Amino acid sequence: MHAAEDRDGQPAGATAGRAWDGRVVERTWRRRGENAEPNKTWLCFNMSTALYPLATLAQIERTPSREDGVPQDLEEDLRAYGCKLIHQAGILLRQKQVAVATAQILFHRFWFVTSMKQFGIGDIGMGALYLASKLEECPIRMRDLINVYDLLLQRATHTLGPAHTNHANNPEFKYATMSYFGSTFYELKDALVVSEMQILKRLGFNVHVVLPYGTLINYLRVLGLTSEEEACTRAWGYLNDALQTPVYALYPVPTIVSAAILLTTRHLRIPLPSTPPNCWWDLFDAAWEDVWSVCGHIMRLYRPRSEGERARIVGMVNKKEVRRWLEEQAASGNGAS
Amino acid sequence: MSDSTPSRKRSKWDEDDEEPAVAVAPPPKRRTKQKPAPESAEATPPPQQSTPRPSLHSRYVPPRTHHPPILPSRSVYCYERLNQIEEGSYGVVFRARDKQTGDIVALKKLKLDEEKNGFPITALREVNALMSCRHENVVGIREVVVGDTLTQVFVVMDFIEHDLKSLLHLMPSPFLQSEIKTLMLQLLSAVGHCHANWILHRDLKTSNLLMNNRGTIKVADFGLARRYGDPVGVGGMTQLVVTLWYRAPEILLGATTYSTAVDMWSVGCIFAELILKEPLFQAKGEIELLAMIFKLLGAPTSNSWPEYSTLPLAKTISLPSPQPHQFRPKFPYLTAAGIDLLMSLLTYDPDRRITAEEALQHPYFTESPLPKHPDLFGSFPSAAAGEKKRKPYSPSAPARAADYKLLLEPDLPSVD
Repeated sequence: MHAAEDRDGQPAGATAGRAWDGRVVERTWRRRGENAEPNKTWLCFNMSTALYPLATLAQIERTPSREDGVPQDLEEDLRAYGCKLIHQAGILLRQKQVAVATAQILFHRFWFVTSMKQFGIGDIGMGALYLASKLEECPIRMRDLINVYDLLLQRATHTLGPAHTNHANNPEFKYATMSYFGSTFYELKDALVVSEMQILKRLGFNVHVVLPYGTLINYLRVLGLTSEEEACTRAWGYLNDALQTPVYALYPVPTIVSAAILLTTRHLRIPLPSTPPNCWWDLFDAAWEDVWSVCGHIMRLYRPRSEGERARIVGMVNKKEVRRWLEEQAASGNGAS
Repeated sequence: MSDSTPSRKRSKWDEDDEEPAVAVAPPPKRRTKQKPAPESAEATPPPQQSTPRPSLHSRYVPPRTHHPPILPSRSVYCYERLNQIEEGSYGVVFRARDKQTGDIVALKKLKLDEEKNGFPITALREVNALMSCRHENVVGIREVVVGDTLTQVFVVMDFIEHDLKSLLHLMPSPFLQSEIKTLMLQLLSAVGHCHANWILHRDLKTSNLLMNNRGTIKVADFGLARRYGDPVGVGGMTQLVVTLWYRAPEILLGATTYSTAVDMWSVGCIFAELILKEPLFQAKGEIELLAMIFKLLGAPTSNSWPEYSTLPLAKTISLPSPQPHQFRPKFPYLTAAGIDLLMSLLTYDPDRRITAEEALQHPYFTESPLPKHPDLFGSFPSAAAGEKKRKPYSPSAPARAADYKLLLEPDLPSVD
């Protein structure tokens, strides 16, 4: 414990009071923030001196869900779907993107210390969004969040549930509100409170999150890409899409931002110095292997999925369904062998 | 083979040094294959080895291994409970011993029973503020541990012997100027650090400043702290912050946006309290406090505080007639620089109030007497640790004589 404590405390203390303004970053900020107070520019970078937690190698190699028999691709899909739900709920609640992104990052960290057999992605996603909204000082009402999640899940089962019927037969989706005397709301409310507490407890209350957007702007400036509007939008979009993958719990922000820029420049065919020893990502201390791996994570999101695969994921929002699936797998596995 | 190529490249400059190492190495070829590489690295001159390293990794992007792992909370049973230190509205504080290391810590139990909105946002702010504001003069948070149920949460912090409030109350004579300077420097650097990390403390007062027996103070109790600045949202902050005596005038007058300056006003009040050995503004209510502030600083004018009239509650206050400030009569023994620092902290206009960074550079700290080294501070018995002041030894009269004296005491309660 104490080794961890030192690691946590040391860098913050060691660089305290000193500017967190990498030569690159500082220069661009000066240029940008001409109207900003000069002595305030370095302040923003101090923020990152408290290091955010990342999964250890052991946690990455054997996630709790995989230990429980959930295959890697299923875990990946469930993580992505949980994050989509958070994102959709955030939009419906008109929540700020900072809170949504924070929630998604906490969500991913959670599954490095907990199995999906123990908690459902729906509940934990809801808890993460509720917690992140408090962390970002824009709290939301429990009732609103619960209603929104109820609607989202109903709609998902509606659009994917009767997949066999064609669109003509498929009646238009109508949200069935929770009944006034029913226990659904209270059950969901309890689940929400428990999820929030479990996230805090299992992350050791270290819910410090660093978002990548500021870093992206700085890097784009350094690379002289800010004039290309499409490049900026696209890179920004990759960062948001990456929130559906576990990369924010695996790699430091500079690596993820570099990956978003790499994908953008490849897609738009923007040439950047990329032959060793002059590689642009070296500027940002990102290792090629890591950048490449993050790109892989992001690109896997876009692979075409069959209706059946999507239905399978929607059907496993709760832990009960995950457990049932695991039992079925075990039964069929035993039968086969 | 792949190992040997980089080392050979590196040895361009010191081929002569490298050769003996290579000559020794070959015989046990397979097993020591790993060894020659580090040896040759050691053989290269140190400056050459140390220069490429920082260029490989900027110190602003720490290596991945420096990041803390994702670790669940430990159980509270890792600690042995010693004694209760205090109980407040926020919860109870215990002194405890870490069973593994034997360290003495303070355990603050959070009150979660009557929560309707999940984990209280105030507790979340406190834990977050403490975790992101690690500093020598901010009380160190070690971890957050949990009990058997989800409603038992304990924040584990370093145990600090005293709080400045009771110390000021108990100590026979006020702090020396040199000591006040040390304390103020520590306080300012802690507050500056919090502000640099976008945290407002919002409850700075002497009872929230802890002090150990090594002359170091630690800012504690971040129960009212919160993040400020974009994109966290500037407006809509509550006025129900800061203990009354230390509350800045803009909060008293209902400002909905306030910033780091409110903490600086509190620092000014603490500075005055260290000098006076009692709180500067001991008011019973907001109106009385404003009257006391007006009396000391002189009433605010459009010159000293241009935004005064735009504040929500300004119209409800009738200003006294203008008069000069009363700092000099109130602090007769403070040097001109000291008065200047105090006035810069207790300035009406929040925009003109001195910042922590600026205050640290104030000439008051470089004039004589210079700040005392923390190690030279005296130590005191700790009330929190259950220690009692040892009575100074004085010889007592022989027992029988005392009895005798008692018998002859004329003031004994009369029997009738």
